[in-house]
Amino acid sequence: MITLWHYLAVAAALFGIGLVGFLTRRNMITMFLCAEMMLQGVAINFVAFARYHGNLHGQVFVMFILAVAACEAGIALALVLMLYKRGKSLDASDWQSLRELGVPPAIDTVPLDIEKPEAEPTLAPAGVRPTLTASEEAARV
Amino acid sequence: MSEPLGLAPIILALPLIAAILAAICSRIGLAKIAHVPLILACAVAAVLAILLVLKVGEGDQHQWVSDPITWFAAGNLKVNFTLTVDPLSSIMLAMVTFIATWIAIFSSGYMHGDKGYGRYFAVMSLFVFSMCGLVLANNFLLLVAFWEGVGLCSYLLVGYYFEKPSAAAAARKAFLVTRIGDTGFLLGIFLLWKMGGWNTDLTVLFQYLAQNPPDQAELTTACLLLFCGAVGKSAQFPLYVWLPDAMEGPTPVSALIHAATMVTAGVYLLARCAPLFAMAPDAQVIVAWIGGITALLAAFIALAQTDLKRVLAYSTVSQLGFMFLALGTAGVISPVFAVTAAMFHLFTHAFFKALLFLTAGSVMHAMGGVIDVRRFGGLRKLMPVTHLTFLCGAAALAGIPLLSGFWSKDLVLESLAAASESDRPYTGAYFALMLIAFLTAFMTAFYTFRAYFLTFWGPERIPEEAGHHAHESPAVMTIPLLVLAVGALFVGIVAEPFTHWFSHFLGHTPSLEQATLASGAKAIEHHFNWTIAGLSTGFALGGVLVAFLMYRKGTETLPAAIEPVFALSRNKLYVDEIYNAAIVKPAGVLAMLAKAFDGFLDALARLTSSIPRFIGEWVRPLQNGLVQFYALSMALGLTVFVAFVVLRVTR
Amino acid sequence: MNLFSLNPTQLAGGQIALAAVLAVVGFALLLPRPRGRSVAGGIAALIGAAVVFAAFLYNAFGNPMPDVIGSVLFWLFSAGALGFGTVLVTQKNPARGAIAFAFVILSTCGLFLLLAATFLMAATIIIYAGAIIVTFLFVLMLSQTDGPSNENDRSREPWFGALAGFAFTGLVLFTLYLTHLRTTSASEDGEVAQRLPAPVLTTAERLKLADIVAKLDAENSQLPADSTSMVDRSRMAEHFEQIKAEIVTVVGSTEQSHVGSLQSRLGKLSGNPGVVLRTDEQAVAVLARATAIRERNEQVFRDVDNFVLNDPKHKSQDEVQAELRGLRDDVLLLAGAAELPARNVGNLGYLLFTNHLLAVELAGTLLLVATIGAISIATRKGAIA
Repeated sequence: MITLWHYLAVAAALFGIGLVGFLTRRNMITMFLCAEMMLQGVAINFVAFARYHGNLHGQVFVMFILAVAACEAGIALALVLMLYKRGKSLDASDWQSLRELGVPPAIDTVPLDIEKPEAEPTLAPAGVRPTLTASEEAARV
Repeated sequence: MSEPLGLAPIILALPLIAAILAAICSRIGLAKIAHVPLILACAVAAVLAILLVLKVGEGDQHQWVSDPITWFAAGNLKVNFTLTVDPLSSIMLAMVTFIATWIAIFSSGYMHGDKGYGRYFAVMSLFVFSMCGLVLANNFLLLVAFWEGVGLCSYLLVGYYFEKPSAAAAARKAFLVTRIGDTGFLLGIFLLWKMGGWNTDLTVLFQYLAQNPPDQAELTTACLLLFCGAVGKSAQFPLYVWLPDAMEGPTPVSALIHAATMVTAGVYLLARCAPLFAMAPDAQVIVAWIGGITALLAAFIALAQTDLKRVLAYSTVSQLGFMFLALGTAGVISPVFAVTAAMFHLFTHAFFKALLFLTAGSVMHAMGGVIDVRRFGGLRKLMPVTHLTFLCGAAALAGIPLLSGFWSKDLVLESLAAASESDRPYTGAYFALMLIAFLTAFMTAFYTFRAYFLTFWGPERIPEEAGHHAHESPAVMTIPLLVLAVGALFVGIVAEPFTHWFSHFLGHTPSLEQATLASGAKAIEHHFNWTIAGLSTGFALGGVLVAFLMYRKGTETLPAAIEPVFALSRNKLYVDEIYNAAIVKPAGVLAMLAKAFDGFLDALARLTSSIPRFIGEWVRPLQNGLVQFYALSMALGLTVFVAFVVLRVTR
Repeated sequence: MNLFSLNPTQLAGGQIALAAVLAVVGFALLLPRPRGRSVAGGIAALIGAAVVFAAFLYNAFGNPMPDVIGSVLFWLFSAGALGFGTVLVTQKNPARGAIAFAFVILSTCGLFLLLAATFLMAATIIIYAGAIIVTFLFVLMLSQTDGPSNENDRSREPWFGALAGFAFTGLVLFTLYLTHLRTTSASEDGEVAQRLPAPVLTTAERLKLADIVAKLDAENSQLPADSTSMVDRSRMAEHFEQIKAEIVTVVGSTEQSHVGSLQSRLGKLSGNPGVVLRTDEQAVAVLARATAIRERNEQVFRDVDNFVLNDPKHKSQDEVQAELRGLRDDVLLLAGAAELPARNVGNLGYLLFTNHLLAVELAGTLLLVATIGAISIATRKGAIA
């Protein structure tokens, strides 16, 4: 028999995974997805309790969670978009200027291991002399 | 609207509206016409107030109290917004608005072209509003509010030329010195509130005290505390020092506030509280003594002053002392008579003293701002209207027979005489005070005419500040002078000596009737006392004669014998110096000690505050600006907390 | 499993701790960063964590196996939700993360369905998968950068973050376990102490009712077409008699337990052993239904007896079978009465607009304000630098 406790345990695990994601991921959009996932964990709790008590109040709560999640998504995405327009980045760690005076900023020291892939080859429009890259220049002789 | 009570709020509202309009005018670049609202409001209010006087006088009912509107209430304290109209307040209201109208007209000429024109008229309107409110208020705390309102306006107007350090200092002095008196006033109100069955409405309070006679000592204390306020506001000894300095303000302000209206607020307060004072003879004799001392002292200081406005200021202090002399007899003699004497002197004094100040202003206007009588003289030919009107005012002030000052001074002296002949205690004191009053009357006549001769007689001398355009003032200034001169000459003879209109009118005031009842003094049938009148005439004419003999050349040359006396007078009896040594210096030492102690406390406080700063320095790096780091700290903290709870609960 | 002769609490705690540690290691290894990322190690650790977690569930909260279909679906959806959640967290590419989130939502909706929340299932799919995720994808498209970037290829404190998250989760699980122990352990008088309100029907009663339904089905199919040709009437009659008696006992005990469960608890509390009926509508409806079944029971089995014993006035086989089917449906309904009301949407709407009307209005207002706010934020002039 599946009991209330199974659902509660699964919901707690879902919440925990979302929490880890929220704490560690730096992409603001991913952070918000993780927050939504935490909300889902809570929603499972509510529905399970509704089932257990044999009434619908828990489900009503989930309705409100849905409404709040929709609001949150709208506002948060608008904010994220605005921040992106300002800083050309979705990195939450870019916005650390509100620290105490005299505290050094957190700067990533380890370089990203993957080089930026070369731009895909394109054709110059007809009738225009193509500008050559350095490597092409070397190979040209 | 024909009801007396309907007129009172209109009279009160008019100057307030004028104040707002004047302020708006000066804001939107119409400062040039800022005088229009004040003149219109005062004129209309004066007409209404005179109507009010006529209405109050007729019929059987003589007092109207408006329905109480709760202003605020807390516990036992319930403060109502109530106005009262009775003969006392209506005559005062008429006087204030009438004088204010002419002074406003005069000001529009006198202040012409000043850069603070709009500000001046806005504050003047506010002053007239506060004064009307003070007169009409039927609640002690409401009275205090308007009382402070006139104080504030006085401060603003004395410091009108605030760029001048002396004006700013004078304004501050006026405000602080009156504040000493106001402290006592407030304490007195609290005491009365406790004694009077937790009432603050004047009429209710008097009624309560009449039915429940209070403890005599308590009542005397309360009366003296109230008198403290009056002493501060009406510039009585020892708090008179602010009034001469207040002459730093524009002269019309001195005329309106520091001669005719605000400084008489103390007299009005005591007249209004006559039911209380009539029951406290111990307080009354102190009031009379303070009045007598002030009258003599100020008159003595006025003897040798060379600043025309200061002479007038000290004369105001002295005349206010006269009013308190009269008030101090209420209870010993019939309060109706005493209050009538004081209020009548107040009434006539308002006319001639406002007139004198305005003529002084006119002189000052022509002399390019110079007011020192040693620097000009012989202006008789140059300024004929000013000369004549000044003469009228001076004669009235000196108490030349048949002029208004003569009649009112006569009433004051009569009240003192009646008090010295009564069957109550302190008759000796009142007799001494009567002698002082005669002496003061002599000195008054002397210094008034000294100033007159020095200004208008002798060869013509004009200071260089006046330039070449020393001339008679324009019509907008001389017409008010003429109107007030007529008032100074005839208001006394019209109102009292033959018709007894004034005393009968005031006698209807219910609070005075109540005071008469409480004191048990028998009413005095008014009769003309030839002895007193003759004596006072002799003293007045003697003073004028001495002044004529000494100053008819228009210059001051003193015989060596009286030079020390004049030196003492010129230095104001060294009162300022005594205050400085006795109060200001010790206060300075105390302040220095307090500063040292404060430094010690500051050091302690800094030591304490450096501890959290040190800790803060240590944990500061936690605040690194990374949002996710904060979230991580929150999650970790929550984990630790939940772990603690779970493990403690399950154990 | 119990190698170290631990007591159950220690065992559960150990399992939780082990699962949490494995999850921390797995997530820390899997989270994107320039150096030290180990996908294989991470996945291995996570699988270990999942196994331990499942073992904990089995061990602590009982074997979900008897309800085969339900438990299979439960495991499936749970694994889906947690697995795709893990993918969302550890996936570098946010677009793929969003797809993984869509699957998390779908799995959660499966769980909702198992919990009889049909409307919520539909609503969640529509709102999340249909609206929110699409919006996320739009924003991603508007703001995606090429190549590796700080936000996608680095993590903030992977070890500490995973530790904090899973320490918290472990604590919650342990608390759940302790609470479970308390609410279901036998109290002094041997009665099962129910801290929470009792369900309308106990599980045992529902199982018995389901059993009766099965028996009725079986007997009904063996009913011969013509009662005259019946071979072993006595055995048949005996079977029916048995079923009848069983219905009487079970339905009777259902009724009794409704009258009794609150009676005993309130009697203990107030010291007054009076009969207190449960007043909630569901309990009242169950009582009414049980009474109806008992009345119908008599009638149906008289007819069945007549038929089986070939009474001259017996009804036709179709009629008797129809009556038996009717009884069977009634019993089935009673067995299902412990479930949530079947008219999920209607009842949800009723509740929303009666008990929670103000909250509904507030939520609507909030949505409106959020819409306006989002528009005004996104169109601010200063934002376009």
